[in-house]
Parts: sequence; structure tokens; C-alpha cells
Amino acid sequence: MSNIIKRINIPLNRAEGDLEVHVDVTDGVITDAWSCGTMYRGFEDMMVGRGVLDGLVITPRICGICSLSHLTAAVGVLDVLTGISVPDNAIRLSNLALMAETIQSDIRQSILMYMSDFANHEVYSKHAMFEDAFRRYSPLKGSSAQDVIRESKKLIEIIAIIGGQWPHTSFMVPGGVTSIPEIHKILQCRLIIKNFKNWYEKRVLGCSIDRWNSITSVKKLLRWLDESQRQKESEVGFFLRFCMATGIDKIGKGVENFISFGNLLLPESTTVQPIESARSATSKDNSTKDKYALESDGLKYRKRFIPSGFARGVSVEPFNQAKISEDISHSWYEPSSFVEIQAQSTNTIQPSKPIGSLHPFKGTTKPYASGNSGEQYSWTKAPRYDGLPAETGPLAEMIIQGNPLFQDMVKSNGVNAMVRQLARIVRPVALLSIMEVWLDELMVNRKAPFYNSIKDIPDGDGAGMIEAARGALGHWVSIRNSKISHYQIITPTAWNGSPRDANKLRGPWEEALIGTPIKNLNSLIEAGHVVRSFDPCMVCSVH
Amino acid sequence: MTTVYWMQSGGCGGDTYSLFSSEILDINDMFENLDIELLWHPSLSNISANEHLELTDSILSKKTPLDILILEGAIIRGPAGTGMFDTKDGHPKKDIFHALATNARYVVAVGTCAAFGGFGVDHAIEATGLQFCKRKRGGFLGKNFVSLSGSPVINLAGCPCHHDVISGTLMAIASGAVFELDEYQRPVEWYSTMVHQGCTRNEYHEYRIEESDFGEMGCLFFHMGCAGPLVPGPCNKLLWNNQSSKPRAGVPCFGCTDPEFPRTTPFFYTPNIEGIPIQLPRGVNRAHYMVYKSMAAEAAPDRLKKRSSKV
Repeated sequence: MSNIIKRINIPLNRAEGDLEVHVDVTDGVITDAWSCGTMYRGFEDMMVGRGVLDGLVITPRICGICSLSHLTAAVGVLDVLTGISVPDNAIRLSNLALMAETIQSDIRQSILMYMSDFANHEVYSKHAMFEDAFRRYSPLKGSSAQDVIRESKKLIEIIAIIGGQWPHTSFMVPGGVTSIPEIHKILQCRLIIKNFKNWYEKRVLGCSIDRWNSITSVKKLLRWLDESQRQKESEVGFFLRFCMATGIDKIGKGVENFISFGNLLLPESTTVQPIESARSATSKDNSTKDKYALESDGLKYRKRFIPSGFARGVSVEPFNQAKISEDISHSWYEPSSFVEIQAQSTNTIQPSKPIGSLHPFKGTTKPYASGNSGEQYSWTKAPRYDGLPAETGPLAEMIIQGNPLFQDMVKSNGVNAMVRQLARIVRPVALLSIMEVWLDELMVNRKAPFYNSIKDIPDGDGAGMIEAARGALGHWVSIRNSKISHYQIITPTAWNGSPRDANKLRGPWEEALIGTPIKNLNSLIEAGHVVRSFDPCMVCSVH
Repeated sequence: MTTVYWMQSGGCGGDTYSLFSSEILDINDMFENLDIELLWHPSLSNISANEHLELTDSILSKKTPLDILILEGAIIRGPAGTGMFDTKDGHPKKDIFHALATNARYVVAVGTCAAFGGFGVDHAIEATGLQFCKRKRGGFLGKNFVSLSGSPVINLAGCPCHHDVISGTLMAIASGAVFELDEYQRPVEWYSTMVHQGCTRNEYHEYRIEESDFGEMGCLFFHMGCAGPLVPGPCNKLLWNNQSSKPRAGVPCFGCTDPEFPRTTPFFYTPNIEGIPIQLPRGVNRAHYMVYKSMAAEAAPDRLKKRSSKV
């Protein structure tokens, strides 16, 4: 007889808000899972009828850890509508602030939220690595935890220099940015990055960024781990050893579809080269296809440092935003009707989905009044690409970029919680170096404009799509009579933590939980390892 | 030892991330050197769900004394007063908070959502602050609520609340200091001066050199919707993240410490009659102010008219 325990509720904290995961456990293995966003916030509804610029102030307040991502998406919408060309210097400053935010998020999530589980005495107190883990990762007391709080705080000063404060500033406006940092402030930013990079190399990687970049395969990664005591004892070194010792490298596979919206517009004049997507490396005509996919949907095409794309396994396809839809068959929302929202300029978008799964220019957000019935179990909607659930975040970016290490890790051992989390800890590697380049360019081009004046925002429909720290983020907005008439947002955690859709396909981390062995039914920490490897941000997903 | 239990409800977590930037008191120092024990914080604690339940039970049965209960985010009462838009294990979170509040020596509302309701007061989620709903006294806990120390809820307004205000409050309570509170129960220590105070654009304001577009040096009050002279807060006195403030960086103050935040009129725009703001700096006489401003504009020195003074 199998021992089946049905619907155990696992409340998960360190998930930026409220998350409960329900699982069935059969003979010590998770056999089914439901992800429940337990709060409704109603931001989209709040936007309707407001002033055209209000998205710049209100949407960043959806999220305390990725507030600039929302600002970037919101201003992206307005730049599409005005068709203005944003000055290179404004792009550089916006990118710098956004990268600083992403790095603080990656590093805080990794040490304070992911690895603090390694210091859980109830589960790991008998493990050989526990004493070390406890000394490093205990909340507020561990040496690494304290280091991260101190170092990330310094890094954030860059955002305050550029935008006044963090979180929740609105320094990006249609046409550019609101101020020009003085020379000594730009130089101070350079110093802050230099110091942060030193710390990151010394303590997080345990080696130089160049040395890390030379790791292009699983074999080389294992060789790196054994190469020196410093690398072995670094945060990355400890993380890898702990994961391999406890089996985190064998759980959390997921749906194996990946999505990235691309990120960081490139200034027209810059020495920074975009990371080629894995797709364009193998085929020749794709850059034009990519351009077509974005332009056809009213999005102004600009080259981005991080490419957009969709991947099945490690095979990358052209990305087309018209293939995005949101399904609400298992979410506590009332179905919207097609006629209700007629986004006039979106004729190119004809989603071939059944009603109940709509492109965000057409979908609405109306909470189901009773909040509890039948098949519905979450306040998170279910975004789908071409009808499929997709994982988003740093690992998705690495796969779509064709990063050799991560492609090899996934090809050799499949997707797992370790590789997903590793992608996050090492994402700053690529960002830190170009931050320095853009600051140097700012010094040279300081006399060039930072803002092109915009007097009016015309009516119309626009989308702002970027990669937030946690992955693909989009705002889809309609302006009518100089007021916001429609605002739909799809957040990264809506992709990753989505509930089932009408085809009964599970969301990515629901799927990733299946097959996870559970050692202790009191803690179910393995489920936490799997879900947190997606870096959940529930406040965003239930916006 | 001072114990702290931090709870989040209808909010964004921004006050937690603000606190991480605390300067007067590094949060590492705060928890270590002031002997503040963080019993629970949703973004930091690593105890299991079962241990968390035991902890909550222990507080409710008074076995574990709770010195400071912090709420970040609004209390969500919708739909129709049930609180089912925000649940834990199928129960409304507001009920859990209520039980904890009656066992705490101090209750602190961190951020405008917790203090006054903030986002969602007039929407489906029926948000409210702990002892105020916008300007109206009462809120979730009722106007007569006092915590075990005899203090009403301490409102640390702001979206987010300034990091040094949060750490300063925790430090004060841990040290036994008592705060004087203003009419909205905000500590006068930080909420008696206007955000405007200390702004590097003050000289432009003084001589009424006003901007109507982004990226300029002048004052943002008359046309750009800046609420700096209208609402209290320490943004330009303490500065943010050790560096700056929004108005210094050319972003108008959005008035986020005000009980009515977020306002319903469009941001980046000052509602006005004949070019004069409808809302004038707190406490001024309208007629006198207008005379003063027209004279000030006449008296403006050239260096300011030319925007040669950097902000």
C-alpha cells in the first residue's frame, strides 16, 4: 500500500509576500502540487482613469525589491507611444540604476533568502557542513548575511545618486531622466562599483571575473571548485558543495521552456556589444525576424544587451509577444469578454486561444467576489507563451543567450534547483563590467543631452517589456482621452508561480516540485529549495 | 532584550528594503549591539512553518513577551469586510494581526499603507491603516486602541518609510525613550518639518523660479506637482541611501507621508487656479503668500534666473 498524504499546506516565507504551496506526498515523494498566491492587491484596476504619467509613480510601488523594473516597463510604454528618441545618456543612467537594483536583488536573494535555509538547525543540524553554514547564513547574524547587507547597501547608493532614492523613485520619464549627476557623483559611482566588484570577486566568486568567465562546461566547473581553497570557500563554492551534498542538484526540474523579454536598451553610440542570442549564433536571418516580431506589435525596436527569446529545452526560437496570453481558469478572477476592451491598434494580435486565455491588451482583472470556489486556487493568473507554461529568470536568460556553462549544465544533468540558483548568483558577472563602461562613456559625453522634452502623450496602446531581476516583466497599457483606460501587467513570478491553465498544464514551479523526495514532513524544506530557486516575488505576482 | 515581530500584509515589502539601507544605525549593529531580537521577519526568518506556528502560539499565550509588533502593508478587509483577499492557511490575516496586537507592548505601522491604508483604500480590497483610514481616526484597531505600554499605534509614514526613521524608532523603543506624536500619530521628531526643508532647490523656491519641464534646476512646486512644502518628512534632512532625495534629483515629491497618499489627481502636475497652486505650503495665508511670491519673483537674482546655481 502506498502511503499518500493529500494536500499538505506549505507556507513559504522569504518569497516577498504570501505564498502557500499545497502538495500531495506519496511514499515520501511529491506527486502533485498547487501554487497559491494568497493575496489580491488590485493595482491594475487602480490605474484605470488615472493620469497618463501615473504609472511612473504607482507601478513601482507594486514591488519593494524591483521597483525600478516596473518604472522601466512603465516608461517604456510611454516612450513607445510618443515615439521619442531617448538620449544615450538617459539610457546609460537608467541602465546603471536598473543593473544596480538587479544585482542587489540577486545577491540578497541568494544569501539572505536562499542559503539561509542551509542554516536551518531543524533540518541540517547533523549535516557535516551545518556548522559552517550556520556561521555564514544565520539571519542577521551570519558573517555572509551581514556582509551582503553592508555591501548591497553601498551599491544601492548608485540608484540614489541617479534617481534620488531607493526603493520607489520615478526618475525615468518619457524622453529621458530628470537630472544630470555632477562629475564627482559619476566618479563616486565608479568607485562604488569598483569596491563592490572587488568584494564580489573576492567573497562571492572567490576568483576574478575573467577566471569565472573561462568556465564553459560542467567539467571545468568541477575543476574550478577543486582548484583553490578560496574558490572552494567562496559563496559560490560553498553553494555548489552544499547543493551536491544534499541533493539540491537533483530536484526541481520544471517545465523546461524558457522565456526572456530581453533587457537593457543599448545607447546608439556605445562600445558595449549585445550578448548574441543562442539562436542568432546558429542561424543568419534572425535579427530581422526579431525586429519584425517587436515592431509589428507597436514596440519600437532597439538593440538590447540581453536578448529576448523563447526556448524549448536549450533550443531557442524567435520571440513574438503576440503569442503571450493569460489564462484565468484556475485563478480567482471573472472571465473578461472580448468586446469589453477593444484595443484598436492591436489588430496584428490574434491569439488563437480559447476565451479565458487572453493577450494582456485584452484581458482584465476582476476579482471573483467569493474568493473560494471549485477549481480556482490562486490570485496569480497563468501566463502562457504559445499556450505553454514557461520559466523565466536568470537561468532562462543564460539559456537564451547560449551561455556555454549553463547550456552544458542543462544538457548534461538537466534543469535543477542548483543550476537555476547558480545562474542568479553569477548573473552580476556580466553586469558589473558593462556598468563601468557606461560610467566611463557618461564622463566623456557629459555635455550631450539627458532629456528630450515631451509635451503631450498621445492616446494609443503600448507595451513596455523588460527583464526584471526575476525575469520577464511586461506592462500593456491603453491611453484614451489622455487618461489610462487599460493597464495589464504580467510579472516574472506570474510566469514561474502560475497555477494550472485550462489544459491542466501546471505552472513551472508546480511542475518542478513533482518528484521531489521529502525527508521530513514537518519541515518539507526540499519544497522550499525548489520553489525559492525561482526567486518568488509574490507581491508582484498578485499585484 | 527587546523582541520584534514583523508582519507583512497588503504591501510591497519596500519598507523592509528601505530599512536595509539604514545609515545612522547599520541594521547589523542594531540587532546585535542593541540586543534587539527579531523573532520573525517574513523576508529573513529561516525557521520552519511549524516552528513559526509555535512562536505565534507562545506570544498569544504570553509565554514569549512581544515588545514591538510591526506591520508593513495595509490591512486588507475586502471583499465585503471578510478579509479573504489576504489569507494565511485559509484564515484572514487581519485576524492574526489583531490577536498579536493585543499582546504587544508597542504597535508600529511602518509605511503609509500600514499607517493610513495607502493603496487600495477606495478599491475592492478595502484597505485600511491600523488606526487611521486616510485622515479618519479609527482604522482597523479602532480609535481607542492602545498597546500594552499605553501607547497608540506609532505611524511611520512614507512610501517607503525612510530607513533611519524605522531604525531610529526601534532604537528609541529599545532604549526606553518616549516619542511625542503629531495629530496623525507620527513622531514629531521626523514629521514636524516639511519635505521641502533642506531641498537644494530652496533658493529657486524662495525667488519663485519655477519649472514646467523635467531636467531643469528650478523649483518643482508651482507646476510639476511637488508636494515638498505640503507634507512633513525627513527626506531632505536625513537624505536617502546616504546620498540624495527625489527633489534633489529632479523628481517631484509625491507627498507619500500624507494620509491621503496616493492622491487622486495626476502626478507631475500641480492643480492650480490661474497658475497659482490650489494647495499652498502648509499653514500660509493665501493673500499674503501671493504678495510675497510676486515680490520674490521680482527680486530674483540673475544667477538664479539663468539656472547657474546647481542643485
